[in-house]
Amino acid sequence: MSAENQGQQKVTIASYLLLLVAIVIFSGAFTNIQADSAWVWLKMFDFTTLLGKFGAIAGSKNNFQGVGGTGARNGFLFAINLCPSVILALGIVKIVDGYGGLLAAEKIIRPFFRPLLGIPGILGLAFITHLQSTDGSAAMAKELFDGGQITDEERTLFTTLMLSGDGTITNYFATIAGLFQYFTVPIIIPLVIIFLCKIMGTNIMRFLLKASGRKAAA
Amino acid sequence: MAAAKSKNALDLFIEGARNGWVIGTTSMLPNVLMAFVLIQILTITGLMGLIGKVAGPLMVLWGLPGEGMVVLLGAFMSMGGGVGVAAGLIANGALTPVHITILAPAIMLMGAIVQYMGRCLGTADSNRKWWGWQILICIINALVAMWAMRLIVSFFPDTPIGV
Repeated sequence: MSAENQGQQKVTIASYLLLLVAIVIFSGAFTNIQADSAWVWLKMFDFTTLLGKFGAIAGSKNNFQGVGGTGARNGFLFAINLCPSVILALGIVKIVDGYGGLLAAEKIIRPFFRPLLGIPGILGLAFITHLQSTDGSAAMAKELFDGGQITDEERTLFTTLMLSGDGTITNYFATIAGLFQYFTVPIIIPLVIIFLCKIMGTNIMRFLLKASGRKAAA
Repeated sequence: MAAAKSKNALDLFIEGARNGWVIGTTSMLPNVLMAFVLIQILTITGLMGLIGKVAGPLMVLWGLPGEGMVVLLGAFMSMGGGVGVAAGLIANGALTPVHITILAPAIMLMGAIVQYMGRCLGTADSNRKWWGWQILICIINALVAMWAMRLIVSFFPDTPIGV
């Protein structure tokens, strides 16, 4: 999503609703509803259920990948095995993005930028862009600095936030998604940990910048 | 998004899914295949066993076998590489689903730093004085995330969700 496109996109009630639905889908909240429960229909909001299973080859316990494979041939079949997870995850994320769900997320978190990260709200758009694109958000940060809208320290804080787990949403749902089927915890938990650690790391840099500023002033 | 106004949810899903197919087949598949070949080489030369033994005492701090180090090294080069190695090591039984769950956030947080130095720090023209610290912070983030995940996985069964 380019900055230009984001400017044209509107945040509506549907944006917030879809954001919520996506969080529910990836939270695994409905994974364990039993088939005989009256609430079984809620499993339509569960990523694992939507992903489903490969069938076993007749007369075998195994799917098309078989057992005992090695090397490039095994890697090829294994990668095919991982593809549906990536395809489904990016399909869902695209709907949320298309209806302004990510911009809705930005509206919710923007007031917390300064206290949590030490960066101004003007970096909000760059922040949302960094969830999807490394290069776009880096260019935006440079433009804001060149235009005198953020300081050198604020740019350093923002690039610290960006660098660790850059392209967070895209990379998580496109690359890490290949491993979703092995997760023993709901898919959303490692993502939350990633965001918390990004915030932690930015605050380490905040501390270093403050310490350096004090040293320079002394 | 101007284009999105004319697209309904199904169109958007297809667009995202198509992108997923392209990424899956042109990025993930080559990465996984390369990692499987690499693991094959490391295994037949005995290097995998050696890395496992040498890194074992360190990785045990995060509840991981020494082979987990290979995943982190792969991730440092590229996230796809890290995922590929992780997939290869779960396929040959060196890692379990619990190990994968612990490693996943770390693959992201210290992932692809080599290329992101240019694409992120370089493009933003970030103050070079702090680059070294910024890379170190990525590694710290990854290590802390693995500890957090190690704690979290202990509250869940050891089998993948939905299985």
